[in-house]
Amino acid sequence: MTTQPTQTVTRRNFLKGSGVAALALWGLTATTPAAASSGAVDDDAFGMLIDITRCHGCNSCALACKKANDLPLSQDPPTCLDCKSYSYINECEAAAPDSAEQTRYVKRQCMHCLHPGCVSACTVGALRKTAEGPVVYDSDKCIGCRYCQYACPFGVPAYEWNNPLGLIHKCEMCFERLQAGEQPACVEACPTGAIQFGRRKDLLMQAHARINFDPDRYVHKVYGEYEAGGTSVLYLSDVPFADLGLPTLSDQSVPHYAEGMMTKTPVVALTVAAAATGLHFARKDKGHEAADHVDQEDAS
Amino acid sequence: MTSQTPTLRQTPFALPTFNRESVIVSLLAILTLVGGIAGVGRLFLGLGSTTALSDVYSWGIWIGFDFLLIALSGVGFTMAAVVHVLHLEQFKPALRPAILFGLLGYVAVLLLLVLDLGRPDRFYHFILFWNVHSPLFEISWCVLLYTTVLAIEVSPYLSERLGWRKPLAWFFRLITPVTIVGVTLSSLHQSTLGTLYLNMPHRLHALWYTPLLPLLFFVSSVLAGLSVAMLVYQVAVRIRRKPLETSVLTGLGKGVAGVALFYLLLKLADILIAGKVAALFAFDRPSWLMWAELLPGVLLPALLLGLPSLRRKPLMWWVAPLLVVVFAIGLNRFNATLFAQVNLPGDALYTPHLLEWLSTFGILSAAALAWYVGMRLLVIFDSRAEKEFGH
Ligand code: SF4
Ligand code: SF4
Repeated sequence: MTTQPTQTVTRRNFLKGSGVAALALWGLTATTPAAASSGAVDDDAFGMLIDITRCHGCNSCALACKKANDLPLSQDPPTCLDCKSYSYINECEAAAPDSAEQTRYVKRQCMHCLHPGCVSACTVGALRKTAEGPVVYDSDKCIGCRYCQYACPFGVPAYEWNNPLGLIHKCEMCFERLQAGEQPACVEACPTGAIQFGRRKDLLMQAHARINFDPDRYVHKVYGEYEAGGTSVLYLSDVPFADLGLPTLSDQSVPHYAEGMMTKTPVVALTVAAAATGLHFARKDKGHEAADHVDQEDAS
Repeated sequence: MTSQTPTLRQTPFALPTFNRESVIVSLLAILTLVGGIAGVGRLFLGLGSTTALSDVYSWGIWIGFDFLLIALSGVGFTMAAVVHVLHLEQFKPALRPAILFGLLGYVAVLLLLVLDLGRPDRFYHFILFWNVHSPLFEISWCVLLYTTVLAIEVSPYLSERLGWRKPLAWFFRLITPVTIVGVTLSSLHQSTLGTLYLNMPHRLHALWYTPLLPLLFFVSSVLAGLSVAMLVYQVAVRIRRKPLETSVLTGLGKGVAGVALFYLLLKLADILIAGKVAALFAFDRPSWLMWAELLPGVLLPALLLGLPSLRRKPLMWWVAPLLVVVFAIGLNRFNATLFAQVNLPGDALYTPHLLEWLSTFGILSAAALAWYVGMRLLVIFDSRAEKEFGH
């Protein structure tokens, strides 16, 4: 009240409000986050296995991708993922110790993560992990907030910058073709069989079998088996995956902590509301007492 | 009462003379105009030609200022909680400037968000299509609802000026539930802004990435709120030529010092427990950025307002909260959005387009201008209705 110009408070009073809510939040964050749960992934879900040692960089897949998705064709093959290219061949200078071949061709596209950051992050649920495996996009919902671009550990979703009503573009593993019983266009186009399509669990078994059969040739790891919680697209290589421009990621899925927090939203809301209501009534009379309290130190 | 009723001469529409106030107001008006044109231009031309954004740096200064502004506008819920939940009635003089700042801050946030959206025509889609796992979904809802709460909280300032007694009586009956709803919505989205970054473990530098992000964002919004409360109260009493109540500022100052120390402890605890001490002392770019947050932004203001001898100095009432706003909050939100984003393709670069700056400052100026007009025209100090209907 302005009629009592010299009152002030102690820090203790001040911290009380924020302290209670903060403690509640602290407790909630500290507990184990719930398992990421963006869509239940079928054990029979599809995936792709890309064997780097079999790819010669002919770009047939990138071309087939453009045709299948009605994307504009250009003179040169695409060199990055953008709104006009959902797939491209990344040429990397990387050589295995006993190989003359200096270049590796890494086919890149959406990895169709098992627990996709993009799906968990999307403001309006425009992205969805299907039970069949592909992560698909509903362009009618998208608001263009571009959060998906930040939540994707592989830098996949691309925005259509030159369109005033631009949208997101990404590989959908040819979901419509799959539903019609066909294979993804890139798989069908590959002349060397470097891209294989099938059930993820079968592809994993095959990948490990290939490593075991030729342990000197392959790096003893299937990229995508555990990366970012596992991806539907898997890679086999004869050079370290880091040399292929594939990011080094932990086994934790991207949405692990965020979903753990988000599922606690109702609890946080109720805790804060209850704490605020409690404090309001507990301090209702004290407030007026405090109003009479004069702190000598600052009364000057 | 009559002394505060603005006469025509006092309103910004009839600026009397060439003084500091009129210069600032004119400048804000020009910035608003230019920014408005830039913003409309962006809506028609699209993001590609009007921004420097790219698939790598997809969020720029619009989002940076947006998240900064949400934290600063935390002044609304912080002060509402101080006065109406904790019943620290002695801070009432600082309440109304704070609430109005909060409301206009959030309106500016919404405008900036619409500019940034790739599909501004679909801004309402979060109401139709739900993804309860998405931090941005929750933030959108909370911002929408909380802006409504703030508008309700500001309404009596206008009703009293216009002499509408019925809505006034209603408002004071509802003030407690409205405040509690506002505090709840704020706690949710202020912390969820931190959760938003939890979805970027691959992009956000380890010094910033921590499961404590929601808590850190919440506590820093309280820190921002108390600091902004000090600043806007001082500006408001100048505009209205009211006597400054020093106890309000020393009291808020103590609050800032306390919360700053708590925030510093949380940050240091995270760095220690998560084993990031080496990164803090790496003295590379991220490490310097973190030091710049912690020393001038958190520790220094905590000292300036924590030590009684310094806290009584009027200069500190400006310096300390400004340090918090610029370094602890401003730099932190920009670090999280831009500077501490790592593992990006080496050639990626983001230098904001002129249009991004103009539209941002246009929106901020419009909000500042609206706040100024509000300070002039609304019932801000010594509300009679509050004495009559209040408790
Ligand atoms: S690779 Fe990126 S876009 Fe594809 S599913 Fe994973 S997170 Fe989503
Ligand atoms: S840009 Fe579209 S798809 Fe990506 S997160 Fe936003 S709404 Fe979802």
